[in-house]
Amino acid sequence: MRADRTDAIFSALADPTRRQVIRALSEQGPSTATGLAANLPVTRQAVTKHLITLADAGLVTSTRRGREKLYQISPRPLTDAVSWMADLGARWDDRLAALRDHVLTPKRRR
Amino acid sequence: METVEREITVPAPPGEVWPALTHSDQVSVWFGADVALDARPGGRGVFRWPDGTERHAVVEEVEPERKLSFRWLPFQRTAWGDVEPVPSTRVEITLDEVSEGTRVRVVEQSALDRRTTRIQSRASGGAFGPVLAAIDA
Repeated sequence: MRADRTDAIFSALADPTRRQVIRALSEQGPSTATGLAANLPVTRQAVTKHLITLADAGLVTSTRRGREKLYQISPRPLTDAVSWMADLGARWDDRLAALRDHVLTPKRRR
Repeated sequence: METVEREITVPAPPGEVWPALTHSDQVSVWFGADVALDARPGGRGVFRWPDGTERHAVVEEVEPERKLSFRWLPFQRTAWGDVEPVPSTRVEITLDEVSEGTRVRVVEQSALDRRTTRIQSRASGGAFGPVLAAIDA
């Protein structure tokens, strides 16, 4: 995935309320800001602001429904963000194993 | 953002592990890239991977036999000379003397947000459950 994208995603997800919004969307399915605010300890206006940030990061998409927008999770960027982290962890696993082997290699063979 | 944390115990004292972290020719053996590292605060690191990708880093903290940290600059150069943005992350490697030798711990996290929420591999429930659990951990 594109790295500038990754930064946008991670900074969007760094906020605990936005993670709650994502979680609520995941549980409720496609919802309006009003529908989400009903189950969150924040105002509809605050939810709307967070939804805009999440949409900018590509984490949610919206469709117009009457006077409100219906938001839903866009699963791909979330999955990509997690797999980027998993790849990074796997790279360090490999490097640390190689570091140990290197330190244990007799010096004359280095 | 989320943090990657990994550790390994090397059956050797920190004094033997430290040069493997700070001497370019030794780092090049295990890092997976050709490394030219100036292991002093403010020093540069240039990493070239076998596929031709090149990344640069700036050394931040150096505490001999104890801690080395560096920050990846937020771009990489491809084998074709293109410059691409990459996530700005910071790597901290610490050494702790333990009875079995040296515990080497690596923490890599966003340079933008040093909060230490952790990634977890386990998760449960719902279509996005695993993904959310990983992010929310």
